[in-house]
This record gives sequence, structure tokens and C-alpha cells, in this order.
Amino acid sequence: MSAGETPRDRALVPAADAPLPARATLSDDVLAAEHERLNALWSDGSGFWAWLTTVDHKSIAKRYIVTAFLMFLAGGLEAGAMRLQLSHPQAGLLGPDRYNQIFTTHGTTMMFLFAVPMMTAMGLYFVPLLVGARNVAFPRLNAFGYWCYLVGVVFLYVSLPLNMGPDAGWFAYVPLSGPEFSPGHRVDVWAQLVTFTEIAGLVAAVNIIATTFKLRAPGMSLNRLPVFVWTELVVSFMIVFALPAVALGSTFMLGMDRTVSTQFFNPAEGGDALLWQHIFWFFGHPEVYIIFLPGMGMITEIVEAFARRKVFGYTAIVLANITTGFFAFGLWVHHMFATPIPELGQSLFTAASMVIAIPTGVQIFCWIATLWAGRPRFTTALLFVMGFFFTFINGGVTGVMLASVAFDKQVHDTFFVVAHLHYVLLGGAVTPLFGAFYFWFPKVTGRMLSERLGKWHFWLFIIGVNVTFFPMHLLGLNGMPRRVYTYLRETGWGPLNAIASAGAVIIVAAVAVFLVNVFISYRRGEIAGNNPWNSYGLEWVTASPPPNYTFMYPVVVRSRHPLWETSVELPVLTGLSTERREVLVTTTMDARPDHRHNAPTASIWPLALAICMAVLWIGSIFSPYMVLWGLLISAPVLIMWSRQSMNIKSTELVQPPAGPIVEMVQA
Amino acid sequence: MSALPTVVFGSRSLMWWGTLGFMTIEGWSIALLLVTYFYLRQNFVDYPPLRTPLPSLLIPTINLVILLASFIPARMVQRAAVRLDTRAVKLWLLPFSLLSLSALVLRWWELWALNVRWDTNAYGSAAWVLVGFHASLLLLDVGDTIGLTTFFWTRPLPPKALPDASDNSFYWYFTVGIWIPIYLILYVGPRIF
Repeated sequence: MSAGETPRDRALVPAADAPLPARATLSDDVLAAEHERLNALWSDGSGFWAWLTTVDHKSIAKRYIVTAFLMFLAGGLEAGAMRLQLSHPQAGLLGPDRYNQIFTTHGTTMMFLFAVPMMTAMGLYFVPLLVGARNVAFPRLNAFGYWCYLVGVVFLYVSLPLNMGPDAGWFAYVPLSGPEFSPGHRVDVWAQLVTFTEIAGLVAAVNIIATTFKLRAPGMSLNRLPVFVWTELVVSFMIVFALPAVALGSTFMLGMDRTVSTQFFNPAEGGDALLWQHIFWFFGHPEVYIIFLPGMGMITEIVEAFARRKVFGYTAIVLANITTGFFAFGLWVHHMFATPIPELGQSLFTAASMVIAIPTGVQIFCWIATLWAGRPRFTTALLFVMGFFFTFINGGVTGVMLASVAFDKQVHDTFFVVAHLHYVLLGGAVTPLFGAFYFWFPKVTGRMLSERLGKWHFWLFIIGVNVTFFPMHLLGLNGMPRRVYTYLRETGWGPLNAIASAGAVIIVAAVAVFLVNVFISYRRGEIAGNNPWNSYGLEWVTASPPPNYTFMYPVVVRSRHPLWETSVELPVLTGLSTERREVLVTTTMDARPDHRHNAPTASIWPLALAICMAVLWIGSIFSPYMVLWGLLISAPVLIMWSRQSMNIKSTELVQPPAGPIVEMVQA
Repeated sequence: MSALPTVVFGSRSLMWWGTLGFMTIEGWSIALLLVTYFYLRQNFVDYPPLRTPLPSLLIPTINLVILLASFIPARMVQRAAVRLDTRAVKLWLLPFSLLSLSALVLRWWELWALNVRWDTNAYGSAAWVLVGFHASLLLLDVGDTIGLTTFFWTRPLPPKALPDASDNSFYWYFTVGIWIPIYLILYVGPRIF
């Protein structure tokens, strides 16, 4: 037993096979009254002020998801502009300077403003639901993270039309991005944008870790954790160790080289251009696994639900995800094979880059086994999983090819790499994400997406992705470099580029179908009940959409598939206050009830602090003294935030007396 | 379940996990900055480079002593908080605030004790960013400590204030602890290697 634990604590939650004590079933009247009280208690109000001050993780995550999807569309428009420009030789749509800004903004938007925020947002919405919690661990911090992210979004998209869009590539290599070759503020916009999104990502990661470890439903020991929660947990740890590298590099090193003349990257004063590449890719490689691993988790959830059987090899899948998370930190130099790094290093990173395919392969075989042994129901969500198999595996294979130094030296900086990265990102992240949208849209909105439109969306998307990006393998092998705004007819690259651009039109059609599906279904889709897919997880216990308090009572979990082991009555714990917001905090390993935590109410201070951070970081690119001003205005905001959190009217410090506490409710 | 406690300390509390998360992020950032310091060293024959003076030891060592001394009131605050002794927490927060504020003030001279400007060479840049980054951690925690002290002395507090005081000491151990390798590498190291 751990410190402070009594024998009675262990008795509070039964083991999987222990019979529950006989309890009363809670009547409908009791439940209705409880719903009224709790819904009012957990409401953050309505109207514009409520929108600015809410700390409800569902509201915050929904706006995160919507904003991130808007960024996907913006990045897609930029891609469309590039494909139009490259569709035939020497097109005149975009000049070289504009093209530089467009491809930089496309990459920056997709990687920093769409992919990672979207994956963390899916975690911020669904991790509490999947573990049975009413909110994330730090709700006000969650709000602060979103506002920081929004500042980043606005900053980039105001700069672009002002001709201040970054233009040195999404990874801003020095010396091109340094003060000598990129005067002006374009790269400073990039550097500070990265800082905002890193703050948001780190804040989300800490929230997800604390929520997953401490706010799980009683009985949900770690070996009963849903795989999507495992992937979000692994990714959150990866964020904690990867994102500081790029935040340091972009703001403290590159930003300071550009504004206050530090010499980190100036070889004349002992600086080093390769230092930038190491720092950036130490972040950059884990970054792509941060984007990809939640997709794996989504696939497991979808496969389990629609194969209608437990996933084959749960332990192997969890260990594969954890292993991938660790290995991802050992690959970064494969982005630097064309630099003068020692041969031994090159060999090491080649080996590591190949080895990482193994845990991913393990997961893929487990999913295939699950579908083979199950009774698959090919809804749109499962179709997207099939699309993932086809597209991602293709990208993974070209990744193993690129892991070989000899091959990489030939195709580095060509369209072969563009093909690879889009296959793994679109196949490994966007395709599962669309599947997850079809799977979880009913829970979030209370309505089903149209399966008919979904199937159109799926086929258009898969065909479009392959028509667009497959020719790029051949273009790369034929020598077409990346980041060129045009090419000569004599190169012979015209026909393949034209095919790729046609594919882009198909992708646009696919996304348009999806948007139509969302808009129509949001108002007139078929009403979803609590559990339209007859799936097994805790998120399907609550109503669709969930009420403000999400879970009326903490559910007592006795297996990994709570809803598949009981179809009528669900064991719950009663006793959380209805006078103030309370969440149940459980122990880290076995999720035994530990204490009641007073959850925060709505607050304006997260938004205020994000605005102060905006003044600080954005101002600092114009004058270093803005850092001081920014700190000065942040201080009173921090004081007000602390005052608000110290004003809680909590009262007692009691120790638990005896009390049977397990009640039953209708499932 | 209404009989479960509402105030807990240490790894049972959510705030402790948040503090630990923050410590991990900042600690790892400093590790990366130390790696950068050593990475740049390969571009120089001597480190600090020729014609760059060694950092002085006087003020940094005085500040190190102040920081280490501040462990005592920090620990006293934590122990008092855990035994729910609000009065002792209030009293020990005063020397804690005083010592930590002194360390923050001295940090300004510690930067100049590096005897090199941030824009002179890559060594100077790396050293300034290391000391400056740690200064930002100091600033945050000193602000937190002084804020807590003010709250404890000026208003009736909810019971959650005691775990907050305990976590603040927890974070201070990290802030001081992470400075020790930086001090040794930046100020003492060049005299040995």
C-alpha cells in the first residue's frame, strides 16, 4: 500500500471479478434533479463574456478543433496556389518571393497551426471523456493555451497580407534566416509564432498528463486505459521533451541573433549553422511522431468499435506506442544526412530510422488480426482506417528507403521527400483524423454525419491524395528540387506536375464534400443517442452532446470495456458536492478514490495573460525593451489570477469516515 | 465519497503534478542550453576564447551561498504547511522571500560577472542565455513566493493555500538545484578545464 492509504481505501473499489455490494438503483427523479443542479453549477454562462471566460474543456477543445481545421483549409489554399503555379512550366501565377512566402506559410500552418494543435485538441476533448473525468486537471491553464495559440494564428495571418509573411521555409535554416540574409521582420514573425504555439502545446501536454494520471474513473487502472489515451499520454511526454528545443532555438537563439546580435549561428564568432539544424530537428523529428501517434490511437478506437471485438494484442499496442515515442528522439540526424556529420553518426541514425518501423508494424498487424477475427462493419470511419493502411504504409516504406544515407543523398531536397512526408502525414494523421471525426461527431454534436456523403468524401480523398503525391516520387527521382517556384519545359517535369495538380483538385472536392456533410448534419443529421455505435468506452456513457458536467457520477470501471460488460446498469460512486464544482481525484496506478478537488470556475485572466504574452513576444521583435513592458503588464494579471484562485470558499480538511458508496444507475 | 478529504499534499495533489511538469520542461530546456554551450565549444581552441576574460567568482559564489541558504526557510515552510501550521508558514515565508529576492537582485551583477557581452562571440551568447534563462525562472518563483507571503499575511485563506505553499517550496528546490550545475560549468569549469 502507498503512503497514507488505509485498508479501507482498497476496499472502496472492487476488483474486476469481485461481486459488487448490493445497492439501490438511483431513480429517474433523483437523476433528473441531480442533472438540473449539476448543469447549473457547471455552466460558465452564456453570451460573449462566457465565450471569453469559459473553462469547460469541451468548449475550449471545440474551438481549438474548429480553429485548427480552419488552418487546415488555409494551408490547403496555400497548397492549391502552389499546385496551380507548378501545374505547367514557367507559369506566371506566383513570383519567386511570393512563392517563398506561400510554401513557408503552408508548412508552418500545417505543422504548427493545424497538426499538433488538432491532435492535442482531440486529446483535450476526449481524454477526460475516455477516462471518466468532468474536466481536465487545469481548466484555466487550458483556456490560456488556446488563447496563446489563437494569438499565433492571428499574428501569422495578419503578417502574410502585409508582405511580412515568413519566407525561409518552415524550418528556417540559418544562415538564410539569420540577420544577414533575411533582414526585416519576416523570420521574426516565424520565430515568435513558433513560441506561441509551443506554449499552447506544452500547456496542453501538462494538462493531459495530469488528467490521465490523476483524474481517471475509479477502477480504471493503467492496464484498463483506452489506447487513444495512451497515445495522448505518450505524445504529451514527447511534447514536454521536444517542444522546448524549438522554442529555445527560435526565440532565444535565432530571434536573439536577429534582434540583439547574439552570435549563436555566426561562424565568424564561433557560432555554428549546424547547431540550428540539430536544435530544430531534435524537435522536428519527434514533432512528426507527435502528429502521427494520436492517429494510431484513433485507429485502435475505431477498429475495436467496428470490428466489434477486443483489439488483438492490447499490451503489444501500448508498448509499441511507448517504444515509438522513445525511438522518435533518436532519429533527428536523418534530416541532416547531406551535412558533414561523421559517418558513424550517419550509420547510427540510419539504423535507428529503420528500427522505428518495427513497433508501427506491430500495431498494424494487431489491427489486421482484430479485423480478421471480428465482424467488421464498414462505416465511413472504418473506411478511413482502410485508407490509412494503404496510404501510410506507402509513406512508411519510402521512409525506410530515405533512412539509407546513400539513397537519401540522391533524393535529398527533391520532390521524393515531399511525396514521402505527405504520404505519412496525410495517410498517418489526416486520414485517421477524418475517421475519428466520423466516429466521434455524434458524441460532440448529438447528430450523425451522413454515411453516404462520408463515402464520397473517403473515395475522393484517397484517390486525390494518391493522384497528387504519387507522381512526386517520380519527379524527385527525375531530379526536380523542392522549393522552386517554376521549372523549364525542357526538364520534362510538366506532365507529372500536371497530374499532381489535378489530384489537388480532387482533394479540394473531397474536403468540400466533408464540409457540406458537417454543415448539413449539424442541423439535420440523424439524432445520435448516447451510444450510436454500441461501442465500449466511457465517452458513450454520457449524453450526446455531453451536459456541462459531463459525468453525473464517477463510473466504477471493472474492465477495459465498461459498456460491453454491462448493458443495463452501471456502477457509480455518489457523494461529490452539488454546491461547488468538485472532481474526484484517484491514485496514479490503480485509480482508487483519493480526494475531492475543487475545480475552477470561469475566468477572464487566462485571456488577459495571453494578451500580455502577445505584447511581450510580438513587441520584442520591434524592440527588446518590450520584454520589460510585457513583464510589467503581466505581473498584475498574474496577481489577479492568483487572487481569483485563492478566493475559493472551500472549508473542511476532514479525514474520511466509513461509508458504503457504490450506487447503480441506468447505463 | 463526500467523506473523502479535499486538501492533500505531495504527489496526491494535482498542483504538484503541474509543478512537476513545469520543472521538467524548464529543467530540460536548461539541459539543452548546456548542450549548446558544449556544442559551440568545438569551434574554439580555448573556451572562454582567447582575449575573453574568465568569469569572476566573487558575486556568483556569494549568490550561490544565498540560494543554498534559502533552502532552509523553504523547507521550513513546506514542513509547516504539511502539518497545517498556518502561523509557522507565515513566519518562515518572510526569510524565504527576503533571501530569494536578494538572489534575484544579485543575478543582475552575476550576468555582468561573466566578463563578456552576449554579442561578443558565441561563447558569450551561450553563457548569457544560460544565466538569463535561469534568471527568468528565478523571477517567476520569487514573484510566486512574495505573492504567497502577501496573501498569507493579508487575508484569510482557504485550506488550499497550504498545499500551494508546499508546492512553491518544491519548485524552489528545483530552481536552486538546477543552478548548481550551471554555476559549476560556467563559473568554475573554465578554471579547471
